[in-house]
Amino acid sequence: MKKFFDKDNFLFPSFTKGQKRQSLVISIALIIFFVFSAYTLFNAMYAFTDGIGSIVSGSMDSCIRDLMRSIPLFLSFFMSVWALFLLQAAFRNVSDEKRIKSLKKDAITLLAFAAANLIWVIAATIAGKYHSLVEGSPSPLYPLDSILYSLIYVALAIFTLVYVSKLQDKRPFLLETRGQIVTKARGLYCFFISFWMLLALFSFASFTIGLFIHDFGNGYFFYAISLILVYFINFLYFAVWEFYYNELKEEKKKEFLLPLAICGLIISIIVAVLYLVSLGFDLDAPANSGFGILPVAFAASVNLATLIIVFTPVIVSIVAFVKGLLIRKK
Amino acid sequence: MKKMSKILPLLIAPLLLTSCGKVSKYAEHLDDYVFTMKYHQNFNVLQLTDIHWNANSSIYESKNYMDKLFKEVDDHIKSLQGANAKIDLVELTGDTFMLSNTYQVRSFINYIEKKAEEFGFLYAEIYGNHDRHGEYHPNWLAKQFTNAPHALYFEPNDDLYGRSNFMINLTEDGTKETSVKWQIANIDSGASFSESSISPFRDYDYIRQDQVDWWTQEHAAAGLDVPGLAYYHIPQDENLKLWNEVHNGATYKNKFFKLEEFADNGNEEYASNFLDNGKTLNLKGAFMGHAHNVDWTVDWDGLVVGLGVKTGIELYYAHVDPENPDPAMQEGLASVGINEKFDLIGASLVTITDEEDNIEGKFDLEHLYLNERESGDFVKWVKF
Repeated sequence: MKKFFDKDNFLFPSFTKGQKRQSLVISIALIIFFVFSAYTLFNAMYAFTDGIGSIVSGSMDSCIRDLMRSIPLFLSFFMSVWALFLLQAAFRNVSDEKRIKSLKKDAITLLAFAAANLIWVIAATIAGKYHSLVEGSPSPLYPLDSILYSLIYVALAIFTLVYVSKLQDKRPFLLETRGQIVTKARGLYCFFISFWMLLALFSFASFTIGLFIHDFGNGYFFYAISLILVYFINFLYFAVWEFYYNELKEEKKKEFLLPLAICGLIISIIVAVLYLVSLGFDLDAPANSGFGILPVAFAASVNLATLIIVFTPVIVSIVAFVKGLLIRKK
Repeated sequence: MKKMSKILPLLIAPLLLTSCGKVSKYAEHLDDYVFTMKYHQNFNVLQLTDIHWNANSSIYESKNYMDKLFKEVDDHIKSLQGANAKIDLVELTGDTFMLSNTYQVRSFINYIEKKAEEFGFLYAEIYGNHDRHGEYHPNWLAKQFTNAPHALYFEPNDDLYGRSNFMINLTEDGTKETSVKWQIANIDSGASFSESSISPFRDYDYIRQDQVDWWTQEHAAAGLDVPGLAYYHIPQDENLKLWNEVHNGATYKNKFFKLEEFADNGNEEYASNFLDNGKTLNLKGAFMGHAHNVDWTVDWDGLVVGLGVKTGIELYYAHVDPENPDPAMQEGLASVGINEKFDLIGASLVTITDEEDNIEGKFDLEHLYLNERESGDFVKWVKF
């Protein structure tokens, strides 16, 4: 086990004092915005699922009315996730020059989302779409709270722009750049990573919310535990991939891929089987325990989305396993 | 490691404790499931269904709509039955919430409590397939209704399917000491279930056999000649069977709209015999919700089976249009005698008309269509 965590395995085995400080600040900010992204995604999913429900039932007008009212929920998610991209760009880019360019681009995008939200809320309130700035639902201060939330991102974007512009000739980042992870089939890679990241965000929110809303009684104990594990595994795998595997040196990545994949495959199969068996014992459990953390699935009375969440870690592990085998063969 | 061995049981214990509560046998506690209210002639039961306060709801607009609705119903009742008449009971037949959070649930309960105080009614909460689909624990939701002063709600840890099944016995003096005149069943028709662990779809739930047995025993305890009403959320297989029978020439009296499917999965294995059983045991009316675009009601040889009118502006509802050539639309329009566009939202009102000392099982059913319009609200009452 110690072998996996030897500091010489990592791209940056040691930091200077300044690098350490900068790394710590960015890491904390990444965690904060990951959490924000997870919960805002969860809220946005609620609003979106409700809208889909209206479309499925043939009421496009209700869908448009409802989704328009919830525009701040969607923009709040985009702001949060863009802040995550921005912070990630500070960590991972091919060169200092490219990093500054990415940060500027991300900060401007962030500013655009925040401005769009501010303009929408004010315009919609003036136009009477919201009865007042504190009309209420889904929170007591809605939509005012989304304005306050936007201001956080305005501040972050302005800070980033000022920081990189002022110091762009003086090497504002002490951290070394990390190379981009993939250069081939970038489109496919981006699609897969975006999907996996959304799944990880949703799973993190569902895992934490699930701890409070699952009914562990009434015979649902094993189902509740298995669903919590499903969500936990989903975001854990993403975290291991992003914060451990991608921090390894290239030769260590090749060495560790197969054992990590085998380990992941065993765990994910156990969790998937546990879920299926516990559901088999109580086929009405999804509608009675942790109902609120099921994804879009329920609105259309389908299990498919839940099954995707259950089997994603298995699929990820199989892909890693095959890749690991091929590397070994070479 | 030593620390972990101490911490781990502490973490697991609450989970295990919550899963080990004593499960009572419903058959041994039949009386616990019974609320009572005083019966009088013209006992008014207002059915509100599928209110759907959800993630996108404007509570402000929803309250505005419901304010108008309560006032309209109260005015209507008073105009027909006299100044002292009022809404006696509100049946919330499910999907009051969907994809909601604790703030939205609290807001709704505060609102309905205020209305209950203002209009003098009690209300019964019945779960639909979406009420537990929110950011809260089902026990928390149950607690909100259990603690609400005007709510009738009962959720024991029992061996009966569903979280909350209970009876409202309308008795001579409103206590359990006097004879039962009418009985109103409130049944949790569940939400959904998978046919297998890997099934990609879920079926809507149905009233299970133990719930039918429970109803039968509660009814027997009240008196076999006592007429009954039943309220629940998900339509059972009989709705579709009766619709098909009517369209194959059966002459049951029927009225109102069926502009989408009911909910039945069509699988005989999951068909309930609740209505078949109830029909033989003096059940006079069964009212449900779930399908927003349907309020079709049929008199099945003395048992009136029908869906309530969807209440409020949340989520989807049908736009009734005389220019729409769809036969189901035209059939519905002809049955209600309305020849203008309107939305299928409002409420349903049952008025039990039996004299106090002459119980025959008679009631009136009216559907209210209430639409807010800038040019003046659209209000139509249609008697079944």
